Amino acid sequence: MQELMESINWAIIAPFIMIQFILLIVAIIDLVKADETRGSKWMWVFIIVFINIVGPVLYFIFGRRRD
Amino acid sequence: MTLFQKEMVENWRNKKWIWVPLVMIILAIMDPISNYYMPQIIEAVGGLPEGTVFELPDFAPAEVVMMSLAQFSTLGVLIIVLISMGTIAGERKSGISELILVKPVSYINYITAKWAALLILTLVSFFFGMLASWYYINILYGELSFENFLLIVLFYGLWLTFVVTLSIFYNAMIKTPGLVAFLTIFTIMVMRVITQVFHHLLNWSPNNLSNYIFEMLLTESIPSHLVGTASVTIMLSIILLIASIFIFKKKELAN
Repeated sequence: MQELMESINWAIIAPFIMIQFILLIVAIIDLVKADETRGSKWMWVFIIVFINIVGPVLYFIFGRRRD
Repeated sequence: MTLFQKEMVENWRNKKWIWVPLVMIILAIMDPISNYYMPQIIEAVGGLPEGTVFELPDFAPAEVVMMSLAQFSTLGVLIIVLISMGTIAGERKSGISELILVKPVSYINYITAKWAALLILTLVSFFFGMLASWYYINILYGELSFENFLLIVLFYGLWLTFVVTLSIFYNAMIKTPGLVAFLTIFTIMVMRVITQVFHHLLNWSPNNLSNYIFEMLLTESIPSHLVGTASVTIMLSIILLIASIFIFKKKELAN
């Protein structure tokens, strides 16, 4: 594992991680501001934080309530 | 036009303009990066007996482009379909569209505004995704010219245009968002099977677009059947759009 960490050029991976992070933050902000969501808010917090990439997307597609 | 603006503002407010481009970028760069690091990943995960020599193919830039496009044609299309499934169907279900259509807004305006807003979101997201992929390909795999990149965006964008139009078509026809999504994906899958079965007859089927793009990258010239396929795709999209306006008009008047 150590070797893997060293052999990776972080300049290449960093943007990828950044985008993932932005996605997570945007989803969380939207969730906090939302009055109501489909399903409980805490459930969505866990989904967004613990499921990589897919979590925020699931929230945006299914969690938001149309108003 | 005001409807179109309203639609764009709406897409901004519900953060689609933020998350859809980001997800498209992730989809596009996932495969180029993970394939580049595949030897290290296999080594780290281990499980191979000592001394195993693992020859991984060196990918040509054109092959990596195809990996990104493959992601777009599966997960990318799925996302497009999911974000578009409620755009008209959902509004009709909740009665918003009736409120809008009471005003002197023509049906043509309503449908085309929806269509254009969705199309621009999709194409811009795809453009950024492909741009990121192009950037990584140039760093990690070798040169891919900017003209080639633009041609890829242009021709594959036509396929995505077709997907968007198809989704709008079902939106105009059916009120249940889930069913709209299902039918759109089902239609695309059926088209793929038909194209494969009758491939010598359906040379210009829209499903062949990505194959021809690959051919274009390999031969460094635009094959004539790519142009043909592109025209067929544009024609089909226009027909679908007109058909959806007619169907929508009929349905709404019947109510």
